[in-house]
Amino acid sequence: MVERKKLEIPEGVKVKVSQGEEYDFPVDISPMHEGERIRKGDMYVELAGPKQPGFELVMALPEDQVEDMKVTLVGKDLDELEEGKAHPFAMIYYVAGEKIDSDLEPIIERRNHDFQNYIEGVMHLNQRYDIWIRIGKNAVEKGLKSLITIAKAVMLLFKNEMPFIEKIEAVYITDRDFVEKTLKEVAMPIFEERDARVEALHDEDVEEFYSCTLCQSFAPPDVCIITPDRPSLCGAITWFDGRAAARVDPEGPNKPVPKGEILDPIGGEYSGVNEFAKTESGGVTERIKLHSFLECPHPSCGCFEVIGFYMPEVDGIGWIHRGFPEPAPNGLTFSTMAGQTGGGKQVVGFLGIGMSYFRSKKFIQADGGWYRVVWMPKELKQKVINYIPEDMRDKIATEEDAKSMEELIEFLKRVDHPVVKGVVRPVDGKKITEGWGKEEEVEEEEESEAETEEVQEAQPQLQPQMPQMTMPMPVPFQQMPQLPFTMQSGPKIKLILKNATINIDKIIIKKTDGEKKEGQEGKKEQNKR
Amino acid sequence: MRSIAVIAVTGKGGTGKTIFAAMLILHLCRKGSLLAVDADPDSNLPEALGVEEVEKTLGDVKEVFQHTRDEIRGDKSIWFEAKVFEVINELEDFDLLVMGRPEGEGCYCYTNNLLRGILRKFMKHYDFVVVDCEAGLEHFSRKTIDRADCVVVVSDTSKKGLKTAERISELMKSLGINARKAIVGNKVTDAKAEEMIENFASRAGFEFLGALPYDSMVVENEMAGKSVRDLPECEFKRKFKEVLKKFESWCLS
Ligand SMILES: Nc1ncnc2c1ncn2[C@@H]1O[C@H](COP(=O)(O)OP(=O)(O)OP(=O)(O)O)[C@@H](O)[C@H]1O
Ligand code: SF4
Ligand SMILES: [Mg+2]
Ligand SMILES: [Zn+2]
Repeated sequence: MVERKKLEIPEGVKVKVSQGEEYDFPVDISPMHEGERIRKGDMYVELAGPKQPGFELVMALPEDQVEDMKVTLVGKDLDELEEGKAHPFAMIYYVAGEKIDSDLEPIIERRNHDFQNYIEGVMHLNQRYDIWIRIGKNAVEKGLKSLITIAKAVMLLFKNEMPFIEKIEAVYITDRDFVEKTLKEVAMPIFEERDARVEALHDEDVEEFYSCTLCQSFAPPDVCIITPDRPSLCGAITWFDGRAAARVDPEGPNKPVPKGEILDPIGGEYSGVNEFAKTESGGVTERIKLHSFLECPHPSCGCFEVIGFYMPEVDGIGWIHRGFPEPAPNGLTFSTMAGQTGGGKQVVGFLGIGMSYFRSKKFIQADGGWYRVVWMPKELKQKVINYIPEDMRDKIATEEDAKSMEELIEFLKRVDHPVVKGVVRPVDGKKITEGWGKEEEVEEEEESEAETEEVQEAQPQLQPQMPQMTMPMPVPFQQMPQLPFTMQSGPKIKLILKNATINIDKIIIKKTDGEKKEGQEGKKEQNKR
Repeated sequence: MRSIAVIAVTGKGGTGKTIFAAMLILHLCRKGSLLAVDADPDSNLPEALGVEEVEKTLGDVKEVFQHTRDEIRGDKSIWFEAKVFEVINELEDFDLLVMGRPEGEGCYCYTNNLLRGILRKFMKHYDFVVVDCEAGLEHFSRKTIDRADCVVVVSDTSKKGLKTAERISELMKSLGINARKAIVGNKVTDAKAEEMIENFASRAGFEFLGALPYDSMVVENEMAGKSVRDLPECEFKRKFKEVLKKFESWCLS
């Protein structure tokens, strides 16, 4: 972590210090001034903005280091700055309080924008190193002469509206060199650290998720759940956005969803999410598994950037993005599939996601994650290539490799895609699919019995992952409901297992005499659950 | 706080919405702060107002937001607000916001939701907001502009012009736009046509603001590439003043 410490004020620069509360402000302070534009012609000075360096930063410090209500101004004050011009500007706040740690810094920092705008004649835009402030002539005429007055007003607002701030101290800087130096050496590393923390945050690190019901207007039962590992399917909202929105507008479309009890850590099922979804969807959605594709998938309102589709022929999952005009190997286009999936319902076999979910460490982890992915348009694959595990990058077909199901099957066999022999999901090392290309593999590679056995013994407890058999199926499945238990040659066997737990001690695969066929022998034990 | 009036000018294509809105803007901006909004994707309000070139539209900003929002660090709404601020053009006597191109594919729910909050916040500080819209009232139906106080339908003497007025009336009802509505005739050539519009207005619950004549000066001025600011004294202008009086006592009372 970047060390948090007070700035060292340079020698030889003009410094003004003021300590203590001030209540007598020459201008009005109220939320009603938010959104007030200070036009160029009415502006006394511009601070930071597109033409000058600047930033704002909140730093959490130990209580004994923060001198409450102290302001240090480094550089010229408002009445000394050249009128009509833009000047460098930085605002640093040290905060302390029992409940304050560096995680809260961005949340406190965000409010600087609001509080500055409460001040009549002060306009604050943007955030971090993009801040842009204008101070109006009207405010200066009314007697606003010092930046210290602005700092004092904002600090009071901070303490009023965020009572967990016990002590607050400010350093405002207009001295160009010091602004630039502090931005580079202090602020940027902290901003970068924050961004890295955002990337590293996972579902298990937070207490609550956020909901979004914005799209209920046209997909009435819809409710989206937004978590650190699952950004919204429309691609717009991250967990952090949800949190910010929920705080700003508690009655708005984003609400906190307490996680409750974790029911399925791999699928990502939480009692709190289930309860929330049930209420919000009017009972349409009862269970959601956030990181599952085939079982209780997240509902889709039609706004998704990308749609995933299960292809029973290869027991794998394809993805297609909005804007890709051609049909996928299952013969369906994005819009056809989107039409079937939208409307805020859970449709097993299809899943709408946002582009950023590809980046998630939990990306459909219950169904094997990337190891279950068999096809995506080249454009999409290019965009997310860095998130695909290296050993899978060449194994996922694009429209250049396969346009039809036949071509896809050929491709997958050629590259030895995991779905061919069965997918082992990385999250817990469990083998979740059987594979469908065994016969040929055995023939071609002449695997020994021993080897085959070993593979099989690695997963003595085999639970069939075929929930689509017991769930309502979208149209394209109704033609092909059976899973690839069908042998490619020889007698066609259709195995449909419902609610079964299978224990397999041993499977021996042998070539049968004279024929180019293989049979399955073995001891199977079926236990009904 | 100021008490603002959001005035939407709408009607069938080519009836003279833009010229009416422009005339209104140039008049009202002398009475208070004003935001002119060009909400027609085939925008020509800037030209009518004599604004040379609008570099960027809100539509452009929305597209940038749609495509880069994943990379925006910090708070997206604050970022977006700053960009919206930047596309509002500061002109000498009023500000101008051009909505610009229509939306692309994909979900704009979040974008529009943010935008609604931002526009609401910005708009409340103007005395007048005048919106030049197409007949579909797109930005009102998306609720990116969530308030209208007066809706003025500009109609020529065609059946279609009045039919459109009826449709707008229904649309307002279904969108829950609770605004006063008025109709103004334009390109009207005879008293009979004026009477027809007036009768329609009282039947359909519109205030009738009067009828503006067809005037070749309007066309000539436009052909010369001039803004309505430069429209010389003419029959249209004279009649507009009468309409304006009626408008003011109706809308701003
Ligand atoms: N009273 C009038 N007399 C003569 N010509 C007029 C009159 N009013 C408008 N016009 C002309 O009619 C054309 C359409 O006018 P205008 O652009 O104001 O209509 P509009 O309803 O905004 O059109 P659009 O639907 O294309 O935005 C213009 O060329 C304009 O000069
Ligand atoms: S798709 Fe996006 S905007 Fe729509 S409800 Fe879900 S999260 Fe909200
Ligand atoms: Mg027009
Ligand atoms: Zn949407």
